[in-house]
Amino acid sequence: MTRKGLWAINIVVLVCLLGCVGAIYSLTTKPANFMLSCSSELFNHQAGKADSDHYLLVDLVSKDGLAQINYRYYDLEGNSAGTLSMTGKVNKVDTERQMFDISVTTKQEYVGAKGQATPEHYEYLSYISGIHLNKNGMHSLSVQVLERDETKDYAIVLFQPSNTVCGCRLVH
Amino acid sequence: MQLGHCRFDIGKGDLINQDTGVVWHLPRAELHVLTLLVEYQGKVVAKPLLESGHEDDLQLSSASVSRAIFTLRSFLGPQYETLIETVKGQGYLLRPHRARKQSDKQWLKALIKPLQILLVVIALVSVLLAVLWWANLATDSDGQVLPLSVETVTLTSGQQVDVILYSPSKTNNELLIEQSQQLIQGLQLCPVTIWTRVFLSLSHDKQVLNITLRGDHYGQSLIRNLKISDLRQPKQFVTAQWLETLNICSTSSSQIALSSRSRGGE
Repeated sequence: MTRKGLWAINIVVLVCLLGCVGAIYSLTTKPANFMLSCSSELFNHQAGKADSDHYLLVDLVSKDGLAQINYRYYDLEGNSAGTLSMTGKVNKVDTERQMFDISVTTKQEYVGAKGQATPEHYEYLSYISGIHLNKNGMHSLSVQVLERDETKDYAIVLFQPSNTVCGCRLVH
Repeated sequence: MQLGHCRFDIGKGDLINQDTGVVWHLPRAELHVLTLLVEYQGKVVAKPLLESGHEDDLQLSSASVSRAIFTLRSFLGPQYETLIETVKGQGYLLRPHRARKQSDKQWLKALIKPLQILLVVIALVSVLLAVLWWANLATDSDGQVLPLSVETVTLTSGQQVDVILYSPSKTNNELLIEQSQQLIQGLQLCPVTIWTRVFLSLSHDKQVLNITLRGDHYGQSLIRNLKISDLRQPKQFVTAQWLETLNICSTSSSQIALSSRSRGGE
């Protein structure tokens, strides 16, 4: 075989290898599907007023690269005190470090019934996410799994950049 | 001795195609003819001399010489068969091919050079991609938040509770540490508790303190999340009175539920 032919084969093999590396990379970075359900007790210490307490249910769903986060607020009687519904996409999943990068692109807000006090946490979250969405058109957040037990269906996660630690139920 | 893309090993009597690696051990006639042609390279070798044989060998027929020339040309290939030239009525001539060899090399160099450059470029791009990939990994590891501190609190019963603080920064964590100490003092008043690990984090703007309590009860995992906002200055997310209402010293899940219900009734 001529030298020219050998070089051609070398290049073809090299291109194939690079193609395989690219294919493996794209396959291994495929977004994972997961669902977290986190319930929290909210406390708001105010000067000269009684604490107004609420409950917060957060559902974080990731499916086929899309993400949906619902923040649902309830008063102690179980009445809805507001809902923040965000949608976006999962940018990156680092299975080794158990980290998920999410970009929120849309947000919808539903306040509670008339006369219902809006939870301070709702106001806070609405303000923070609104700043990012208005400024950059998206609100980026990452979820880092700190502790996870599949057998007991729970995970302790840390949301960034808000630096919020939260214990959640893993929903299958 | 180089003949086109072939090397002639006179000692072994081999003609080696250097492109394919094929080694042809020359038969007697071919070896004799080629040896003479090489010996008189650039000069015409008369047919009678070629037919004369070699020392002890028998004489070669005219047809044997012609066949040897034919097979040698075939092995040299179409590109180099003209190295052996027929001089009509006289004999054969092995053309001095140094000049041609050089031009061939130049031709090869002209071909190989762009290919080598292409390969080097591909290799450099691969290295660059690998470096970017590693850099990406390094950035990821930076994004990963590690605990600011892990403190093990021993209760009066000897039970141990881990208090873990999370902060994206190692500076300006006084408020978080202060609040964790409040919580630890509250925990130390408990003889025993259902909780085994407590996670604390303060929001980046220090407006919300997040506390996650984790424990186990008869093999069932228990989790309680508390998010405290404080609009007062100075901020007092965790106070002794507030901890009392939380019932953090509970030893069963029913007591926690009871605590939540009693708060609901307030």
